[in-house]
Amino acid sequence: MILFLARRVLISLPVLLVIATITFFLLFLVPGGPFDREKKLPPEIEANINAKYHLDLPVWKQYLFYMSGLASGDLGPSYKYPGRSVNEILHDTFPVSMKLGLASFFVAISAGLAFGILAASFHGRWVDRAAMLLSSGGLSLPGFVLGSGLIFLFSIKLRLLPPALWEGWRYMVLPSLTLGLGAAAYIARLVRSSLLDISFHEFVRTARAKGLPESRVLLKHMLRNSISPVLTVSGPLLAGLVTGSFVVEYLFSIPGMGRYFITAVTNRDYPLIMGVTLVYAVVIVAANIIVDGLYAVVDPRVARR
Amino acid sequence: MFYFRENMLKTALISVLLFILLAPVHSGAASGEDCRFRFSLGTEPPTLDPSLATDGTSILVIENLMEGLTQFDQNLLPVPAVAKKWEVSKDGKTWLFYLREDVHWSDGKKVTADDFEYSWKRLLNPETASEYAYFLYDLENAEAYNQKKISGQESVGVKALSPFLLRVRLVKPVVYFPSLTAFSGTVPLRRDLIEKYGDHWTDPEKMVVNGPYRLKEWRHEYKLTLEKNRAYYGGEVLCGTVEAFIINERSTALTLYETGSLDMVFLTPEAIPSYRNDREYVNQPLLRGYYYGFNTRVPPFNDSRVRRAFSMAIDRSELPRILSGGEVPAKSWIPPGMFAHDPSIGLDFNPMEAARQLAEAGYPGGKRFPSVRLAFNTDAVNGLVAENIQAQIKRNLNITLSLDNMEWKVYLKKLQLDTPAVFRLSWGADYPDPDNFMNLFITGGGNNHTGWGNPRYDRLISEAAADPDPASRRSKYGEAQKILTETDAAIIPLFFSAQNLLVRRNVHGFIPNAMELFSFKTVWKGDQER
Repeated sequence: MILFLARRVLISLPVLLVIATITFFLLFLVPGGPFDREKKLPPEIEANINAKYHLDLPVWKQYLFYMSGLASGDLGPSYKYPGRSVNEILHDTFPVSMKLGLASFFVAISAGLAFGILAASFHGRWVDRAAMLLSSGGLSLPGFVLGSGLIFLFSIKLRLLPPALWEGWRYMVLPSLTLGLGAAAYIARLVRSSLLDISFHEFVRTARAKGLPESRVLLKHMLRNSISPVLTVSGPLLAGLVTGSFVVEYLFSIPGMGRYFITAVTNRDYPLIMGVTLVYAVVIVAANIIVDGLYAVVDPRVARR
Repeated sequence: MFYFRENMLKTALISVLLFILLAPVHSGAASGEDCRFRFSLGTEPPTLDPSLATDGTSILVIENLMEGLTQFDQNLLPVPAVAKKWEVSKDGKTWLFYLREDVHWSDGKKVTADDFEYSWKRLLNPETASEYAYFLYDLENAEAYNQKKISGQESVGVKALSPFLLRVRLVKPVVYFPSLTAFSGTVPLRRDLIEKYGDHWTDPEKMVVNGPYRLKEWRHEYKLTLEKNRAYYGGEVLCGTVEAFIINERSTALTLYETGSLDMVFLTPEAIPSYRNDREYVNQPLLRGYYYGFNTRVPPFNDSRVRRAFSMAIDRSELPRILSGGEVPAKSWIPPGMFAHDPSIGLDFNPMEAARQLAEAGYPGGKRFPSVRLAFNTDAVNGLVAENIQAQIKRNLNITLSLDNMEWKVYLKKLQLDTPAVFRLSWGADYPDPDNFMNLFITGGGNNHTGWGNPRYDRLISEAAADPDPASRRSKYGEAQKILTETDAAIIPLFFSAQNLLVRRNVHGFIPNAMELFSFKTVWKGDQER
């Protein structure tokens, strides 16, 4: 098992290198630079700034400069936030997004499983139809609509939860729901169809014939065997939720890193773009490795292959 | 089916309800001795280093932490701050600033002329790479030093003659120089701390200030907490704590205001109509002009008659109606509230005359007019303005403009490399003097994207900057404005922007400012409504 995971980690290193390289060169294709302003700078001042950030070097030298920094874990200075390094920015913001992402992931998995199991066990009846209708809604509602709706209901009308900011656990409820419910709807559909697929297999029939209670058949026999598709999607899903969401962080004024996926690009803050891209890549790779490990737990044949 | 299903559902529901109901309710605002003023900032201040700050958000915070030689009064005139008085030589090129001797840093040390000399030379040091270094280019050898044409900084025209006397030598007379010394980039700085802490000298626990507030906490992308600076020299600061929440989404800020978590917010244009008659609504005209420029290098706008025709075909009074943010229609360029503002200058709306000028230029009734694009950066206000202007030009000149919107940085690059026929830009005052607005359009100026130049205009701007006689200075700017907006019509001024705020009724002493700066030292909260 350890060997299996170690191999996966080693394979992922060149992947990260390729991502860093492609992103680095793509940045130079985007028109507009980090120091283009409404108030145009005198060329001499622009030259001072370019020299400070090594932007006056040829692109290949800039690439080598960046990569040598990266090798020692230095993601460079932010152009937009003078005095702050990309490492510092990510250090401040990533834990916030991580917290929000994990809470949303919990919402997604628990609500998704609950609704999926409910729908499958009442297959074809109104509960099933209602659960699927809700999940269609969850899937098709954009975050800002769902979030605004939740704020209106719970903050403005009922005055139960704060509408925004990030001061404690109560402030996490609405953003986690906003971020997690769409994913929950997706998982609910996946669980439902997977359970229905498996319900006609012989081992299920045998379990029922043994006289096991329906709950035990479902939770012990059927769910374990139908969980693989959920595991498959949960890797990228977790990565997506943990790296934050621009919309949810924006709407609830949460100091996470999600906003930088957009603002770093609009500001042409090259090192920050590189930084968030790499974090995203690392989180995806890590989540996939964890999922592969879980596969091996659910289905020991995977580790043996 | 599941026998335990019902019980589980009940337990879950009860847990959720308890979870919500037992939670403490967020408390409201404090007042009096424990005054806490909370407001929203639209973005994270990129830096609190006065030499590096260029944006309004950073400068707004810095202005409450640091004070320079001068500051602006309510009429935006420079008045003494750390400098108690100043003298200027007869030739207008040497300034002596006499500093107060009772100004202390928050760590107890005295603020001296050396702190100013260090700060100004740091702003000009090419290694600092300050974007606003050009602010001090009027100092002797400043430009050469910043451009690495001379190596040492000794010859730069700022020198501490004694701990409380600062001498400034300029290359030319600059009558508005005391306005420049109110700019946040020229506040004094502490060499010892900057050398000790490097980039981190603005961290809350390290930053030493001389203004009304000190930085207590900075949770990046979330909140800045300012606390009364007990060493402040300028009188009692009335509110103990100021909290600036960084809230990018303005509707979120409005919700927080509505639910009692903020005392002041900026309004979005779409929210203004709902609050216009509210007692908490505040409208503040700004020193910010919004204009359309022409690319005068190529036809059809290389012909001033065509430019004048466009300018006269636009009824600016329509714009405040569609934008509804209290904008002031503009046909001249120097904004109201600034010296030499003259609303009589500029081309009036006159569709008949516009059509005549267009016909004279060879396009009667808009016939044979080449296809031209009106470019702007993607933004709700810009879109509304462009659609309105497109409709007015069609209606009054029978010319179809095609609209071209693009992302901000792409747009800026386009302005530099391939200037569109008609483009939108705006300008906010760096200092409240007409020079800051009129200097934009001198021949070959970095911000003059029109390609237009007029030697007479250039000469007037240069002379006016050095003219100590207000009447003759006013007349020079008047003539220059006429050239810019009437005879040559290189730009079409459209409107002057305004700021729209909601401020709670129990907040007193809050004075909005046409330069988008807010000084919190006069703010306090009471039980009485204002």
